[in-house]
Amino acid sequence: MTVLLQSLISGILIGGVYALIGIGMTIIFGVMRVINFAHGDILMVGMYLTYILFSTLGIDPFVSIVITIPLMFLFGAFLQKVFINRMLGAHPQNQILLTIGLGLIMSNTMMLIFTSDYKIISTSYSSESFNVAGISISSPLAISFLITAAITLLLYWFLLKTNTGQAIRATAQDREAAQLMGINVRRMSILAFGIGSALAGTAGALISPTYYIFPQIGGIFTLKAFIITVLGGMGSIIGATLGGIIIGVAESVSAVYISSGWKDVVVFVLFLLVLLFKPAGLMGKPRM
Amino acid sequence: MKSTFALIRTTAGTSPVATALGLAVLAGLFLFPSFVQSPYTLHIMILFFLSTIQGEAWNIIGGYTGQYSIGHVAYFGAGAYTTMILMQYKQIPPWYGMLAGIGVALVVSLIIGSICFRLQGPYFVLASIAVAEIMRLSAINLKDITNGAEGILITEIPVFKIGNTVVTDFLSKVPFYYIGLVIALVTILVTWMVQNSKLGYYFQAIREDQDAAHSLGISLPIYKNIALALSAVFTSLSGSFYAVYIGYIDPSTVLNLDISVQIVLVCIIGGIGTIWGPVIGAMVLVPLSEALRSDLIAEMIFKTGLTSEGSAIGTFLKENLAHAHALIYGILVVVVILFMPDGVLGWVKKLTVQKGRG
Repeated sequence: MTVLLQSLISGILIGGVYALIGIGMTIIFGVMRVINFAHGDILMVGMYLTYILFSTLGIDPFVSIVITIPLMFLFGAFLQKVFINRMLGAHPQNQILLTIGLGLIMSNTMMLIFTSDYKIISTSYSSESFNVAGISISSPLAISFLITAAITLLLYWFLLKTNTGQAIRATAQDREAAQLMGINVRRMSILAFGIGSALAGTAGALISPTYYIFPQIGGIFTLKAFIITVLGGMGSIIGATLGGIIIGVAESVSAVYISSGWKDVVVFVLFLLVLLFKPAGLMGKPRM
Repeated sequence: MKSTFALIRTTAGTSPVATALGLAVLAGLFLFPSFVQSPYTLHIMILFFLSTIQGEAWNIIGGYTGQYSIGHVAYFGAGAYTTMILMQYKQIPPWYGMLAGIGVALVVSLIIGSICFRLQGPYFVLASIAVAEIMRLSAINLKDITNGAEGILITEIPVFKIGNTVVTDFLSKVPFYYIGLVIALVTILVTWMVQNSKLGYYFQAIREDQDAAHSLGISLPIYKNIALALSAVFTSLSGSFYAVYIGYIDPSTVLNLDISVQIVLVCIIGGIGTIWGPVIGAMVLVPLSEALRSDLIAEMIFKTGLTSEGSAIGTFLKENLAHAHALIYGILVVVVILFMPDGVLGWVKKLTVQKGRG
């Protein structure tokens, strides 16, 4: 029972970060109907940014997100303005290839700069854990979960309560109608890609104390981001939040009860089942 | 490049001169190993054939039928693994193993097809990737069959005999050159046959408007599965060929998603849904990535005098450019998608049309 509870809790904690990745992806999809195949690579850029800040200036990874978030936002806005905006009306497959190409450029540029060696950010609390009622909880995971929760709440508030947030949601619901209402949809697209990238970059920063950092790590997270967004329903933020936690739990429970080698297979099978039997995802129609 | 354009015209069936040129190129390709002995040149040619086979194979499902599979590495890996496992553990020679590989790839394609073709557009892309990843992870985990992440290394290939005459012992690159050439030619021929048959028209109808095609009585699941199966057969062949040629496979080389992307890239760069597109794509990509790998580009930069070999940038380039061949892939994809979405072939066509008008 303790084992089950233990794996459930660590699944939920890591699921929080997954949710952040998924929400970023789902916002981008919602506003632009573009599936961002570079999402994991953007996360990887966030990890390296955190690594640079940590190794040169000694800034703690969890503190460094105050720098990472705006920088990654600008990076995403740049990508959108220079590349993706040109492709908005194009064939979806070409959009996919474009983002794959951008991802390749990011991961290989990082490889040129940092080589493919594994980098580690070792903080004093990297392997620390504390006990709650006999269940041990990893400190970095717990901290990152708290930060994730705060960011998610802030994002919900931004999208629901502010004018800009509502404009983004309107664009996601109906691009043309939004345009007719005087919303600058191009600007909203840039904002959306910026926010999506900032979220992915933040997720990268948050997991950097517990993961190896290397240029090819992005692929794994791009796939996870898909699975989470499809599971939750493309374009649904609540869905992505739920999806992230479900995937986190599915991974950690199957790692304990099946084997850690097969845990990703379990996730992929889950993904295929969702695609087949509930392609709209848990939260039904795309909405934000 | 000149010869390729000659070939293009041959297929258009215009002048006898072009036909003669095409035949001359063909003869040249068959005689090539008797003039060029350099193993490295032959190696590049073999890689070029491999790339062509993969590109043409993907073209059938991606280019003609419009179903962008980014999981084609599944069939490549199926061919490679089946052939290698049979050869290493059951002593079955690769020319039978290759056929078994095709069989396995067909089964895999039917399974993938029956699952993934219920989905459209981006969902199909995602599902195809998921299936390929499941195969990669299974190859890592099923250690008893695949030897896990360590992979399979073959030390020698059995001698190929007909009756008692030794045809080849596979000791040089020449037999591989001819096998590659023949498979590539067969793949091109099959693509040509598909393009000019009723089957090909069905495929293209599905690509252009799948609902319209369906309402005209074209069974979507049947024809999509046929296209995928055809594509899988040749992709699997390329996998078997690659495995035997290189002599070593592991999940991260023959089941890596990057291979799927490379296969698609060959088509995109050359021109999707055309017979010669993948050939041209392979012609661009293979020499380019080899030039990067062998530091030719770095040396060219030194020769132009932009930076010297001794300088800090020079040493950096020399050390790292070889690892960055995928960076060029990325840049190529972005440039091609943004500026010539119909590939080199479409771009050239557009230029000639503009010239004709002006």
